[in-house]
Amino acid sequence: MSIKYQSQKIAEYFYTFAVVLFLVQVVVGIIAALQFIWPSFFILNFNTIRTLHINALVVWLLTGLMGATYYVVPEESETELWSLPLAKLQFWATVVAITAVVLGYIWMGLNPQANSPIMGITPLNEGREYIEAPRWADVLIVITVLLFLFINFMTMLKTKKWTGIQGTLIGGLTVLALMYLPGMFYTKSMVKDQFWWWWVVHLWVEGAWEVIAGALLAFMLMKVVGARREVVEKWMYIEVGFVMFTGILGTGHHYYWIGTPGYWLWVGGIFSSLEPLPLLFMVWDAFRTTREARNVENRAGLYYTVAHAIFNFVGAGLWGVIHTLPQINKWTHGTQITTAHGHLAFYGAYVLLVLAMIYITLPAIRGVKAFNASRAFQSFWWMTISMVFIVLTITGAGMVQVYMERLMGLDYVAVKANYNMWFWILRAIFGVGFLIGVGIFVIDFFRLGKEPAPAVTAAPERV
Amino acid sequence: MSNKAARNLFILGSLFFFAIFLGLTYDTMGKLDKRAPEITEQVNAGKMVWHKYDCIGCHTILGNGSYFAPDLTKATERKPKGYLKRFLMDPKSANPNASMPKLGIRDEEADDLIAFLDWNSKVDTNGWPPKPILAAAGGVAGKELTEGQKLYQSLGCAACHLINGIGGTTGPELTTVGARRDRSWLIGHFKNPEEYVKNSAMPKVEAPEADIEKLADYMITLK
Ligand code: HEC
Ligand code: HEC
Ligand code: HEM
Ligand code: HEM
Ligand SMILES: [Fe+2]
Repeated sequence: MSIKYQSQKIAEYFYTFAVVLFLVQVVVGIIAALQFIWPSFFILNFNTIRTLHINALVVWLLTGLMGATYYVVPEESETELWSLPLAKLQFWATVVAITAVVLGYIWMGLNPQANSPIMGITPLNEGREYIEAPRWADVLIVITVLLFLFINFMTMLKTKKWTGIQGTLIGGLTVLALMYLPGMFYTKSMVKDQFWWWWVVHLWVEGAWEVIAGALLAFMLMKVVGARREVVEKWMYIEVGFVMFTGILGTGHHYYWIGTPGYWLWVGGIFSSLEPLPLLFMVWDAFRTTREARNVENRAGLYYTVAHAIFNFVGAGLWGVIHTLPQINKWTHGTQITTAHGHLAFYGAYVLLVLAMIYITLPAIRGVKAFNASRAFQSFWWMTISMVFIVLTITGAGMVQVYMERLMGLDYVAVKANYNMWFWILRAIFGVGFLIGVGIFVIDFFRLGKEPAPAVTAAPERV
Repeated sequence: MSNKAARNLFILGSLFFFAIFLGLTYDTMGKLDKRAPEITEQVNAGKMVWHKYDCIGCHTILGNGSYFAPDLTKATERKPKGYLKRFLMDPKSANPNASMPKLGIRDEEADDLIAFLDWNSKVDTNGWPPKPILAAAGGVAGKELTEGQKLYQSLGCAACHLINGIGGTTGPELTTVGARRDRSWLIGHFKNPEEYVKNSAMPKVEAPEADIEKLADYMITLK
């Protein structure tokens, strides 16, 4: 395995930043889990810890996807990147902006008054979930993302090989950038605030990001099992098409109870119930394409690719559809059921996607022929089993919460502090298991290709 | 189907559904203000305070946010505003077991926040949060409620107190209060809690003398 174009190496910069943030995200997640047991466990309050957890998550996934894009576009366009120095500049601009934002969160966590509005704008933390980054950071982020899109677009323009994969990839990324804008203005009404907020959050994870995932899935299937382009691209269009047909109006499943008109119960209920379908297509696609593959060089890459397809369906599709009908969501809205779904969906759909892309492209970037995949499998199982148990635990907590608080009318605090305590303890324990898996992955990431590959696991010769 | 047809289906179909979505958004935007009270200067100031302290990092409102602390959509309907204000400025002074941190919320910030929370409680949310069905059923299926029990429900005491596992955790549990307190203490305490308990966060019971007595009669049966 080796790269065809030197500028593809830029991907590794992004991967490295992503991997470090992944570690931070999970350590911080464990602190958050412990604060459910001891609320004053840490110098920073829960809200700051949670902000760091979910922002680190979104940012490392995005940087991972950026790295993957810088790898895919030269390969698909069959040319070097339009400008490597600019891509490096974009990388460092991203790192600087993100670091500044994180320091701001910590400062505000230590001294909330530092976030007092200046000319009507809170300078350190916008106080809106997932898009806490303050306005000045929004602007920096938009500029770096535009630069990123521009570099890739100019690269594609060099050879004009508009392949389906890179077209869909860049299309998804463009929608992603556009959908950041509805979160960038202030509204006096909390209802409108949440209305536009869901444009960002929902149209990202159930729209643009799934389109990107569909494009990368097609790319990965071609890479690991040598699937034929015409076939994977056709299925890719069908998959991402259905993602959009169901996902756009599926936004309605967030407009049931926030002060919006009643017709959203119908629109959201019907369209979001269909959202698992394209995710099921992807599972079927992955199985059908890889079933007959014999001489797979990159077993770790194959493994992560198929696992991504499966857990995308389970986490987003199944754990999403169980609470998406208004009749059920009325009782589960804003409970631990939502957290359970959020974890499995993000893990299956995007964490495994980025890890799969890393395992498929990093060996080539490092010029490794064969690598020992045992650490990749170990970390996979540590992470996946722990995540499944975190999700089962929190689903249990959610069911108890729905029953006791929502159906019986017990107090929120009583349920949280008494009946659900064991679930919090179990989550923290499984969280440590997840951290072990991440630790193995991080070691593997930094060592891959830098130690002699043992002969036993060398890949079989291609026949 | 050819690849090109599949691609066109994807692009045109997405645009089609997005156009419908835009149409619905336009319609919704026209209706939102009628489904909620007017936004005064104070409500907007309260929203800014809400963002400043990142309340959504622990709480949900309208069901969205974080799941570490209670949903605040109906906060001002559940508890008296005087109590809430005291809680916001210094949670432990109102409830020694509180785990919400003292964030440094100032007097006028607390007033603004309460105006903001009050605005949210009046938004037409299509009936969310739903009334607990099992608790409602329990009241009907059980034996006839006494006058005192009815008052206990209608005055919202259960928002702060537990009786036999049902109710809030802000104030002390009342399951056996009859064994601790006598009738005259209870009546005096209801009229002016602070006279009996230093810095009490319990709001005065605003009800006619006769009702206060019935409430006390009910309390002493709890042993
Ligand atoms: C670090 C987490 C955290 C933050 C930040 C936070 N809260 Fe709380 N809040 C809690 C917890 C936990 C409770 C539940 C009672 C308790 O244990 O203190 C609570 C309770 C409340 C209550 C009482 C609800 C009731 O029904 O008794 C109100 C009102 C409230 N918070 C408002 C706010 C507002 C407004 C903000 C922002 C200025 C805020 N909170 C920020 C954690 C937090
Ligand atoms: C906003 C919260 C709140 C509400 C509503 C509330 N209480 Fe209280 N209550 C408290 C707090 C806090 C205390 C502890 C301080 C004190 O004893 O004054 C308390 C104390 C009491 C006590 C004394 C318990 C003891 O063991 O000393 C009784 C009895 C009582 N409340 C009854 C009621 C009744 C009856 C109602 C309804 C009319 C009610 N409370 C409404 C907060 C509340
Ligand atoms: C990869 C795709 C997905 C991801 C990453 C994802 C993630 C999330 C997250 C993080 C939330 C919580 C948001 C918040 O903080 O308030 C959420 C809410 C929700 N998701 Fe998903 N989701 C995905 C796909 C789906 C699908 C396909 C469905 C339905 C079929 C679905 C149904 C829901 C519903 C109904 C809620 C609202 C829960 C509530 O009312 O509290 N999700 N999702
Ligand atoms: C890659 C793995 C992980 C992903 C993708 C992830 C994702 C998320 C997301 C999306 C949220 C917001 C939840 C929502 O709004 O529904 C969240 C919150 C949270 N996460 Fe994670 N997380 C991961 C790992 C962990 C681990 C290992 C722990 C610790 C055991 C943890 C503990 C928490 C806690 C306590 C919250 C707050 C939930 C709440 O508000 O109730 N997470 N995480
Ligand atoms: Fe959604």
